[in-house]
Amino acid sequence: MIGNYFKTTLRSLLKNRAYSFLNIAGLATGIACASLIFLWVQDELTFNHNFEKRDNLYTIYENQTYEGKMSTFHATPGPMAKAIKAEIPEIKNIARTGGTNNLLFSLGEKTINEEGSYADPEIFSMLKMPFVHGDITNAFTELHSVVINATMARKFFGDSDPVGKTLKINNEQDYTVTGVFTDLPKNSTFKFQWLAPLANIDHKMPWMMEWSANWTLTYVELVSSANVNGVNKKLQHYLASKNNGTKTECFLFGMNDWNLHDNFVNGKMDGGRIEYVRLFSIIAFIILIIACINFMNLSTARSEKRAKEVGVRKVMGAGKGKLIAQFIGEAIVMSFIAVFIAIGFMYIILPSFNNLVQKELSINISEPLHLTYLVSIGVVTGLLAGSYPAFYLSSFNPIAVLKSMKLPTGAGFIREGLVVIQFSISIILIVGTIIIYQQIQHVKNRDLGYNKNDLIYVSTQGKLSAHFESIYQQLKQSGVVEDASLSDFPVLQIWKNTDNYSWEGKQPAQNPLISFENVSSQFVRTMGMKLASGRDFYPNSSLDSNSVIINEALAKQMGKQGHVGAIIRNVGNKSYEIAGIVKDFLYNDMYAVSAPLVLYNNPTGTDVLSIHIKRNVNLQDALVKIGAIVKANNPGYPFEYKFMDDDFDQIFKTEALTGKLAGVFASLAILISCLGLFGLAAYTAERRIKEIGIRKVLGASVAGLTGLLSKDFLKLVGISCLIAFPVAWWALNNWLQNYQYRITINWMVFAAAGILAMLIALATVSFQAVKAALSNPVNSLRNE
Amino acid sequence: MLSLQHISKYYQVSGLKNFVLNDLSLEIDQGEFVSIMGPSGSGKSSLLNIIGMLDEPSEGYHYFAGHAVHQLKEKQRSALYKQYIGFVFQAYHLIDELTVYENIETPLIYQDFKGAERKAMVADILDRFNIVGKKDLFPAQLSGGQQQLVGIARALIAKPKLLLADEPTGNLNSKQGEEIMELFRKLNKEDGVTIIQVTHSEKNAEYGSRIINLLDGKIESSKQL
Repeated sequence: MIGNYFKTTLRSLLKNRAYSFLNIAGLATGIACASLIFLWVQDELTFNHNFEKRDNLYTIYENQTYEGKMSTFHATPGPMAKAIKAEIPEIKNIARTGGTNNLLFSLGEKTINEEGSYADPEIFSMLKMPFVHGDITNAFTELHSVVINATMARKFFGDSDPVGKTLKINNEQDYTVTGVFTDLPKNSTFKFQWLAPLANIDHKMPWMMEWSANWTLTYVELVSSANVNGVNKKLQHYLASKNNGTKTECFLFGMNDWNLHDNFVNGKMDGGRIEYVRLFSIIAFIILIIACINFMNLSTARSEKRAKEVGVRKVMGAGKGKLIAQFIGEAIVMSFIAVFIAIGFMYIILPSFNNLVQKELSINISEPLHLTYLVSIGVVTGLLAGSYPAFYLSSFNPIAVLKSMKLPTGAGFIREGLVVIQFSISIILIVGTIIIYQQIQHVKNRDLGYNKNDLIYVSTQGKLSAHFESIYQQLKQSGVVEDASLSDFPVLQIWKNTDNYSWEGKQPAQNPLISFENVSSQFVRTMGMKLASGRDFYPNSSLDSNSVIINEALAKQMGKQGHVGAIIRNVGNKSYEIAGIVKDFLYNDMYAVSAPLVLYNNPTGTDVLSIHIKRNVNLQDALVKIGAIVKANNPGYPFEYKFMDDDFDQIFKTEALTGKLAGVFASLAILISCLGLFGLAAYTAERRIKEIGIRKVLGASVAGLTGLLSKDFLKLVGISCLIAFPVAWWALNNWLQNYQYRITINWMVFAAAGILAMLIALATVSFQAVKAALSNPVNSLRNE
Repeated sequence: MLSLQHISKYYQVSGLKNFVLNDLSLEIDQGEFVSIMGPSGSGKSSLLNIIGMLDEPSEGYHYFAGHAVHQLKEKQRSALYKQYIGFVFQAYHLIDELTVYENIETPLIYQDFKGAERKAMVADILDRFNIVGKKDLFPAQLSGGQQQLVGIARALIAKPKLLLADEPTGNLNSKQGEEIMELFRKLNKEDGVTIIQVTHSEKNAEYGSRIINLLDGKIESSKQL
């Protein structure tokens, strides 16, 4: 019997090629699209799954209180690890890292910058690092040892075993390679290419071992029987005893949450990427449902053609159950054909999709999870799409359909309802795309308070900072540079901060977190910032040893003392005179208002050289000239620069991705909906062919008939608008609440989305309508 | 073989009963070849549908092969129907997507015959009807007469005791019609199949053993030939 069904299905597919194409293409597009999203979701959900001990691994986070609100940070005091390991028995292992460092490695003539971390040796066993060469237990017995990943090993040593060979770091110190580990997967939190013992920098910077300075990241492995809440209780007020009664609280943040739940509001976990994972999963299901609706619509619309078959089969003794089985079977056959085509689509689209989402996703049909998914999506889609048509078709009364071809009424209403659902979703997605785009543009076009364009920066390796004066003179003479300056950080991110500033009249309860940064005297000019009052730094930094520039936000905090000439004291109670007040500019959080800031004219030890290139020069030439100057003054180091506006765009990565995906999904939803609409219009035109013939004989014009046939569909799109607008408004208004700096939703967006949907629907339907209206009435009336 | 007693079929139209069959009683014995005639709207097809259990009467008693059909549940009726009755239509009603062979095979599938058995039975009937050469063609590739031949073969494949034919020659030319009628007579005489046909043609009616004339849902006359 199944063979018989299969044959009927395939023959009926081949016989109605256009219909089959619309049906399967729609379904395949939906399945491919949903599957790509699910691939992305799988990747996000399996983040860090390469680490076997992930259920017992944590980082220590700190909740610090400023102005009555808790902010969450992941840097901890250097001595903390050793102390809590001794005091808390549930801690099995503990390791610190010193954040990410970009260091210059050299072997003979070969010099490459590589990112990595200084770390405690326990990190190897905690992460169960897979070593291809070397010994995991003795990797860090020597101070100057380094462990590198396979890619880095290949760059320097080819395929030979590098253990025992040396690499020079920063042209200063030779490090012996003691191990090579396989590259960590892309979906893991740790990105390091190399690891070296943390002791190398511990002793260089003694302040890092103070309880009051937060600097290292502390990773904890608990014994598997440990009660996390119990450990958290011990940690909560731990720092108070070490750091004279600080209110800062510590807690464990589990590895399984690192990727998806890393957003904290007032000290509590509050979403994170998981929200996007949920959003995209929902969108994937919606697209799948749209595709299924299409299938249902086209199948029921075609049911008049199949009514006879149903009648005949019933007369020949087929029960309702067997007919339902047949139609669902057909739907499943079609959905499996669609699945195969979808797999093909996915192979084609995957590279560009990977490019879009910045991942390395791959389909692997031999992987049980993917295979199970593909089979179940085939079955589920078949059931979902086939159920309604199956019940509808099998309910036909054989006499009625064989005699008069009369069909039960009601299906038309359901079909229209399904079209309304499809278009509602499409319109919501269109509105979403436009508003997300508008919001991103709104923030991007915001006045930052400085000029991020034509701005590059390099990290000051080697002698770059020390030779700044001569570099600066040569850059100015080159004619391609507007200005250049040194600073601790690239201007978009300033990560040094404290609440230990004081001034006359500061209230005890007033403890805003204030950022501070060391810069060279050209900083304000280089960035294109504006002074609100006072003066810029003197070129000779020693003249400014007692002066600072603050921003307007801090001036406001300081109240009456927030003026040029006022005094502000830092943690050591050293007094500084406010020499100038710079207009607020944005850093760290592009959606918020500017946070309070202090700038010191103190270029020694700064890490970043920013160069503002002249507007009207050729960028490539300028970069060549700048590169030559920088390299000449800092031999042995490559000239590696970053554009500030690239960094700026990076900040909106997630939003931009959401916007792009929403756009892609909106187009797909529309495309699939239109396939359905096209089929439905064809069906309507066919069913009304006699009516059209009669109207034509009676003198109706082609335009009039086209209008007549299109009108009903446009009414459906109109109803969809009425449903979609409030839903879209509600959803996007909610989304916008996440951002302090945001657009207000304009009704024009809705009008535009509505009109767009109307036009697309009209274009789809009118093709069929015109075709029907142009047909010769003699042909359509003859067969009666 | 079957007995209809006081059968009525009506539709309620704004409170008024619109009778299609009105208190009609009829007995048909095994081996008969009955032709039902009458003008359009006299209830011929409705009567045939009720006999064939495709439709239910509004009132009355219906006995078939010893079963009280009016008391049976849908499932039992369907089982009875599958076992005893074959149907032939004016418009052939072959499934366009299936070949001649597959069309004939379909009723067997619904009656759960095994594959090998089906093969033998279909081969047998193709042979009997002289359409072996056409078995792989689709309905659209056949003439009307040939399609009706396939329709009859399909109706007979499960060896029904009763063959119901609703204007089987209505769409055929007179020569093709004659051939079909000859076939019916042969089936009736040689194989003992009871046949009830609805027809407009006097000539075709006379192939039967009894002619029943319907008028306004009642039997106007019944004539034994």
